[in-house]
Amino acid sequence: MRRDCLRRASETVLAGRGLTKSFGGVTVLHDVDLRIQAGEVRALLGENGAGKSTLIKILTGAIVPDRGELHLAGQLMPLGDARRLRDAGIGVVYQEFTLVPDLSVAENIFLGREPGRLLMDRAAMRSAAVGAFRDLDIAIDVDAPVRSLRIAHQQLVEIARALISDARVVIFDEPTASLPPPDVARFLAVVRRLRERGLGILYTSHRLEEVFSIADTLTVLRDGSVVESCSMAGVSQRDVIRWMVGRDVSEEFPVRNPTLGDVVFEARAFSRLPRVQHVDVSVRRGEIVAVAGLVGAGRSAAALGFIGALRPVHARGGQLLLDRRIVTFASPSDALAEGVAYVTEDRKGRGLFPLMSVEANITISSLAAFARRNWIDRRLERSTASEIARACCVRASSLLQPIATLSGGNQQKALLGRYLVKPPRVLIVDEPTRGVDVGARAEIYALLDHLSREGMAIILISSDLTEVIGMADRVVVMRQGRTVRDLPRGEATAETVMSAATLQS
Amino acid sequence: MIPRSIERHAIFFVLLLECVVLAATTDGFLTSTNLGNVLRQNAFTAVLAAGMTFVIISGAIDLSVGSIVGFAGVLTADLMARGVPVGLAVGAGILSGVAIGALNGFVMTRLRVPAFVVTLAMMLIARGAAFKYTDARTITGLPESFQLLSSGVAATLTMAAVFGISWAVLMRTAFGRHVYAVGGNAEAASLSGVRVGRVQRRVFMISGACAGLAGVLVASRLNAGYPRAGEFYELDAIAAVVVGGASLFGGRGSIWGALGGAFFVGVLNNGLNLFRVSPYDQLMVKGAVLLIAACLDRSRH
Repeated sequence: MRRDCLRRASETVLAGRGLTKSFGGVTVLHDVDLRIQAGEVRALLGENGAGKSTLIKILTGAIVPDRGELHLAGQLMPLGDARRLRDAGIGVVYQEFTLVPDLSVAENIFLGREPGRLLMDRAAMRSAAVGAFRDLDIAIDVDAPVRSLRIAHQQLVEIARALISDARVVIFDEPTASLPPPDVARFLAVVRRLRERGLGILYTSHRLEEVFSIADTLTVLRDGSVVESCSMAGVSQRDVIRWMVGRDVSEEFPVRNPTLGDVVFEARAFSRLPRVQHVDVSVRRGEIVAVAGLVGAGRSAAALGFIGALRPVHARGGQLLLDRRIVTFASPSDALAEGVAYVTEDRKGRGLFPLMSVEANITISSLAAFARRNWIDRRLERSTASEIARACCVRASSLLQPIATLSGGNQQKALLGRYLVKPPRVLIVDEPTRGVDVGARAEIYALLDHLSREGMAIILISSDLTEVIGMADRVVVMRQGRTVRDLPRGEATAETVMSAATLQS
Repeated sequence: MIPRSIERHAIFFVLLLECVVLAATTDGFLTSTNLGNVLRQNAFTAVLAAGMTFVIISGAIDLSVGSIVGFAGVLTADLMARGVPVGLAVGAGILSGVAIGALNGFVMTRLRVPAFVVTLAMMLIARGAAFKYTDARTITGLPESFQLLSSGVAATLTMAAVFGISWAVLMRTAFGRHVYAVGGNAEAASLSGVRVGRVQRRVFMISGACAGLAGVLVASRLNAGYPRAGEFYELDAIAAVVVGGASLFGGRGSIWGALGGAFFVGVLNNGLNLFRVSPYDQLMVKGAVLLIAACLDRSRH
């Protein structure tokens, strides 16, 4: 099915050969070849963590590969030189916008490469910006501050910026992740126009239907290697999902044969607009329910919504039931008091206290448990912390060392331990194995299994399909702020979960 | 590699060095009169620094303490001049500080205005209130017993009590740990069940209480209610806390560091006076010392 040969007539604009990159001993990209022709849209697909972002960062010069080379229109390019690569004609549109809200559209487009020597040549800037948008057949006021534009228009400004220095290749990194559906179609039309102009386009998106409507060829990455590179002709969505997922569930997971109790926690038609639209999920005593979905599907937002920590919220609806009793939590401390704990996915940003000791990080949520009239019993604190550290397999030379000095895996286990000092009845863990080494990963799985056997109800939010299939007694899939499938263990396969997460049903 | 325990209390070694140098190079430093003066002159800066330590560790800043000193001072003085017993008047002065601090905390946490702006506004308001309250006059004729508060012994005991209590609260209570947590990572603190807003409000009340107490001490030392009292004291307090090793980003600092910092700055002032350095040069030297301390701190972390 490889059609690359058929297109030999057209020119290869961008070629990466043998690109390899490892971080701290872990190879994230292994001997990757990638070719983009003029006038083609090549989709770059893969699960979270497959290496797409690393590859894109190499192409844009944000990171330097350990090995490999990069050719633009047949010319060898310097690696890791973002400015040179941009000026040579590699443009990029990121998922997260990189615009300055208070500057005008034209100023944003020329940010960092303003024409004119001492003073900016504002007239030249303006007319070039107007010209760029005319080429795209889009009407935008180039003098308006970016802040005043709709999201879809801000994206177009990003595109204009990528094009302004005679780009020959444009890389789109999840460009539609933050666009409402009607704008997606309009956006895709712009991409087609760029293709007609002979640009080479690399396109990543988690939305498969979108990929199928726009891409000519595709490259699939799995665990840092190219597993498939071919034309889209004759390829089905099923094929793509199989290529992306590929792996078997390995033995790193404990064998689950849970004895389920009553429903402990339930969300009914739970909504916290704008990010959480409609969530139905329940979890029983002793059960592990996985919440799967793509990044941005609203899984973490829903969990934060449950415990009263989601900001901003414009409208709220639905109910939470704890032991069949309607509850609302105004803050995480309310939720913890009722036995509902949430362990964040953002370990560094919202989890750890980097300056505090391992011990203080573990005990911070439950100081009242070893305080008499507010005075902390230090002995009790110390013995509790070391007990928890042992139960969670936290390896540290001393519990008094700052937590920032531990490895990612040990930090994660300590963070998990924080919420086990006073065992909650409902434990929501969000991406508990992200950035965690294999050994610690297995320990975390064993710990979660153990806790559920003791009767804890566990909600496991995860983007790692293998983990979802390996750990869950039931899988709830979310897409665009809604729960869309509820799959029992037998029916949850990588294919069914991935389909539900990516396809319009 | 310097051991952590020494590094953490580096300010005391610097303070000791400062004292040794002054003792060796001047005749006037190591006299009981001079040392008593240093203690009395700096007791209120130290008390302010104790309160400021809580605020800075929590990741905020309190610019209003100097003005609270002025307001609490004139309030206490006026009440005594009207015949209110000394104890009650002193209590009212301290409580006025707590009330202003509570207002700071309320506006900051409930109306979500940054601490810098809230306390900057309060600095102007409280100072204006002190002037209006007295018609910009100085209140005199205070009872003699009030003056005893700023005697060397009383000032030292007060300061010791403030620092002892502050240390216990900060290092031995759940609230103290929460102050460090809020300054270290407010988001993480919230998700850990710490009531971040409540901690912040209490921190400002503590700072207000210390400022109120400092106001009373200053009034006692001046033996008058002077509406200008305490001008720029907030800067001395912040300098003391920062020189003592606290981070203005929050999460790091110690109460003993603040004490050391306050006296480091105090002894420096004293030394510059003994050397008859002109007031203008003194300002420049103090500024330079603060900068050097901040740079040393940056290189350590």
